[in-house]
Amino acid sequence: MADPILSIRGLKKSFGALTATDDVSLDLFPGEIHALIGPNGAGKSTLIKQIVGEIRPNEGTIRFEGQVIDRLDAAARARLGLARSFQVSSVIPDFTVLQNVMLAVAGADGHVFRFHRPALSDRTLTEPARFHIAHAGLSGREGTRASVLSHGERRKLEIAMALALRPRAFLLDEPMAGMGLEGAKQLTAILSDLRSEAPILLVEHDMDAVFALADRISVLVYGRIIATGSVAEIRANPEVRRSYLGEEA
Amino acid sequence: MNRDLIVNLVIFALLVAVALGAHVAGQGFTVTLATKAAILGLAGVGLNLALGYGGLVSFGHAAFFGIGGYVTGIFASHAANGDPILTLPFTLMGSNEMLGIWPMAMLAAALAALLIGALSLRTSGVYFIMVTLAFAQMIYYFAISWPRYGGEDGLSFYVRNSFPGLNTFDPIQYFAICAGLLALALLFTAVVTQSRFGLALQATRQNEQRSTAVGIRATPVRLTAFVLSAMITALAGALYADLNRFVSPSMFSWHMSGEIMVFVILGGVGRLCGPVAGAAVFILLEHLLGPVSDHWQALLGLMLLAIVLFAPGGLIGLTLKALRRTEHG
Repeated sequence: MADPILSIRGLKKSFGALTATDDVSLDLFPGEIHALIGPNGAGKSTLIKQIVGEIRPNEGTIRFEGQVIDRLDAAARARLGLARSFQVSSVIPDFTVLQNVMLAVAGADGHVFRFHRPALSDRTLTEPARFHIAHAGLSGREGTRASVLSHGERRKLEIAMALALRPRAFLLDEPMAGMGLEGAKQLTAILSDLRSEAPILLVEHDMDAVFALADRISVLVYGRIIATGSVAEIRANPEVRRSYLGEEA
Repeated sequence: MNRDLIVNLVIFALLVAVALGAHVAGQGFTVTLATKAAILGLAGVGLNLALGYGGLVSFGHAAFFGIGGYVTGIFASHAANGDPILTLPFTLMGSNEMLGIWPMAMLAAALAALLIGALSLRTSGVYFIMVTLAFAQMIYYFAISWPRYGGEDGLSFYVRNSFPGLNTFDPIQYFAICAGLLALALLFTAVVTQSRFGLALQATRQNEQRSTAVGIRATPVRLTAFVLSAMITALAGALYADLNRFVSPSMFSWHMSGEIMVFVILGGVGRLCGPVAGAAVFILLEHLLGPVSDHWQALLGLMLLAIVLFAPGGLIGLTLKALRRTEHG
């Protein structure tokens, strides 16, 4: 197999007596969707936060495209192409759709300290932004303020912003949360398409989406990965069924 | 272009019209009032960059206003008595030239803002407010206990500094200088807030986590805005010193910080000409009601309360809303 894009080894994080991440190792390979599932409180969000650099692990190493990124802060990791979406949609509310994506383009190219040229007439910002907006299926909404977008549209805006980072890997934290049936279907199609841009580490509760999308699944319980494997393997794994899928083995 | 621009231009034009009208009518005092409005408006324009666009509620901008004032006072008084300001590490003589003093005032404020900002930006919310206030108060007490430059009594200088080609003693000519700088500062703010930097600054105000997730570090962006903001407010302080030919520690006091904040909130937070409108209304009230009652600020307080509760867009926001209604209705 090819070298992993993202490689996590021996990650540990505890808050006082609580071990939130217990010796976690996992890989994200090019072209795959790797789903991370687990019951509430299993430490999925804590793990994501350590990967993006929001909190520091106590032990362990994270490699991104072969480079150790343990010492980089969240902004630097984002600029390397580690694109993240949030559990609760997170956009700049008073900006238009176009401005939101322009911000991501500007953040990715690292040229934030430019003071005189109006951003809206800077085609090195607007053109890529429009392209990513179209790619995420939001054409025609460029001038709409993000705060008035529907929930589904805001999800698409987050994807457009992630695309603008010229991502090498996506970290999507429960993208299906709060989506209706139709919206979830649409988003599943978009995510399946996104895989060709960069591999996806997908944290998700919606099992239909996970089973439809994932190439591999890792199951996190009490901060520890109890199993990693294909959809079929995970479905058949007795320990997973007992501790997560809620069945008697 | 759009309604915002028109409202901004009208506010600036009104200020100029008042000064010109008073000049023609021979009312020098009213020209001076308009000059004061332009200067205090400029101080507010500075704060607005940090507070309005960056969400940095600085309760210590009097520090920069006062630094601008004291740099002016110190240069002018040394120019009068001929003693150098510094002999080590280099000799620095006093000066009467505004064009030489302004850059010094802005540089001094920029250095102070760099230090204050670097420390205060480690905190946020109410702690940021308190840390900026604490720094301004430190400078205030320092100024009070510095007898070299007048201590508690402040520092007078008898000749207004000069500007090439103009007679700065003529009220309308001094107004022209102040209004010109105000216009430049407004233009600067308009350009900067629409640039990439402005985009980043406003994004960090609204959603820091999201800004970080697209690769933008909030602290350097905020520190830059804080320093630029301080420089503009220091320039206002320099003009204020020349207007009165007097500086005193009260320029550093927390009342001053509060007043500058009132201009911004009254006019409209994050609105380009908001602080100008706010300062003009403040001075108008002070002038009209001050002689009637010492308690005129109670009315100001009520106005401020009404604005914060019912019209967070300030006077400019109200005006824009009214315009929109007439257009649609």
